[in-house]
Amino acid sequence: MNDRAPESVEDLGPNRVGLVVGLMLGVPLMTVGVLGLWQHMDATPPANYLRFFIGGDLLHDFLVAPVAALVGVVIIRRAPALVRGPLRAALFTSAIVIAVAWPGLRGYGRARAPDNISVQPLNYATAVLTVLAVVWVVTAVWVTVEVLRSRR
Amino acid sequence: MNDPALRPAGVHDERVAARLGVALGVAFTVCFLTGLYSHLAQHPSLGFQLPARPVGLYRVTQGVHVATGIACIPLLFAKLWTVYPQLFQWPPFHGLAHAIERIMIFPLVAGSIFMLFTGLANIHLWYPWRFNFPDTHFRTAWIVMGALVVHIGAKVTVTRRALRRTPADPVAPEVVADRRAFLATAFGASALITVFSVGETFGPLTRLALLAPRRPDTGTQGFPVNGTAKETGVLSLAQSPDYRLRVEGNVRTPLSFSVDELRALPQHSAELPITCVEGWSVSRRWTGVPVRDLLRRAGAPPHARVRVESLQPYGSYTVSFLDSDQAHDADTLLALLVNGELLALDHGYPVRLIAPDRPGVLQTKWIGKVIVL
Repeated sequence: MNDRAPESVEDLGPNRVGLVVGLMLGVPLMTVGVLGLWQHMDATPPANYLRFFIGGDLLHDFLVAPVAALVGVVIIRRAPALVRGPLRAALFTSAIVIAVAWPGLRGYGRARAPDNISVQPLNYATAVLTVLAVVWVVTAVWVTVEVLRSRR
Repeated sequence: MNDPALRPAGVHDERVAARLGVALGVAFTVCFLTGLYSHLAQHPSLGFQLPARPVGLYRVTQGVHVATGIACIPLLFAKLWTVYPQLFQWPPFHGLAHAIERIMIFPLVAGSIFMLFTGLANIHLWYPWRFNFPDTHFRTAWIVMGALVVHIGAKVTVTRRALRRTPADPVAPEVVADRRAFLATAFGASALITVFSVGETFGPLTRLALLAPRRPDTGTQGFPVNGTAKETGVLSLAQSPDYRLRVEGNVRTPLSFSVDELRALPQHSAELPITCVEGWSVSRRWTGVPVRDLLRRAGAPPHARVRVESLQPYGSYTVSFLDSDQAHDADTLLALLVNGELLALDHGYPVRLIAPDRPGVLQTKWIGKVIVL
């Protein structure tokens, strides 16, 4: 992960015609959504909705992304050059696998429907470790190939 | 740290952003259209008539909806990482057009995170919020699509430039390699979580569905259950010796059947999928009485619509409607058996609806009444 600015191509700014056309088409679509939420306020309580709508974005911008940057500085950049790409791939993919499996790992669905044996039926800790093993074995092969290639 | 070899560069470049953006744009459009189809299918009051054929259409659209949403998770994180430095650019705007463009990015980003998080949580039956999931997920989709259209319009020139300028790339080969490795990482992670979850709807990969909240081969009678008989409060009503299935409404002769009388009627079998809106699906052989046979016996009008009512005293899906096309399809059954076995209570004993091309929540279980409209 890095903090390098975009390449020195000139900043074109928004395409003005495209932006106007986009607004003409996009704002009505957004209005359908906002009005729908407004009209069904009993099913979509605004305060709770906004907490999740805005909260997810804030969580990403001020926690997830900074942690990713920190991992980049502390772990990836300190690794040998050949390993950096594979290491970044393995860490990113591992984080994604854990995020996707998180509700299973925590057993939220099973707790909600304890009589339903078909909800989250697996041992997700084992399942996640299995997938992570695949990720890191592939990464090890990738690193080996890179090392062998560099020695030629 | 100025040595380029020490600093993998180029990940925040517009070429990376454009490629991830195009992929996400296509994927979000697929999710929106398949989600719209599912919404129309579940809301007959909107006037959309579900076609009965092809039999597996809803299975494909909803499977694609959930699988595509899951596949978007790494792509979205990668895209946000690519453009993250722009969050802190100073001054924040240069001109009105740029200000509008940037303001519209907020509903796009916040909405995208919201959609993927709520979608993932919902398929796991995890509800850490107080709002109604289908309502909120559906309406927020319009906000995200609208903001996406604005974003595409604003970025059309940059995106075209970014996608074209590859052969005469002026940057160092390491930078190009780093960009490629980053894109390979994003798309690779997307492919990996798809392979390990899509088996909940795609039979050949069932054994690999390690990240999926359901397995099509796991549950009562070997396949999943959405709402159980116990949680919907239907246990005693469904097992009552006084159970009768009634056919009434706009008919010449109202009918009423015990379970044994239903079994004595001519039976028909059909291989039909059961498809949950949450993304899992599985095909089973169902046997029972065709709805159209009952309609004929009762003297219903030729193109009648039908309202099917469950015995369940509470729950969101106690009633469903069959449009003319589905009500009169040869394979639309009041099923008594699945794969040759009596339906289990959790699968709708004594009688459940099973029809082609239909969301699972509309395959009403524990049927008490068939009302001809």
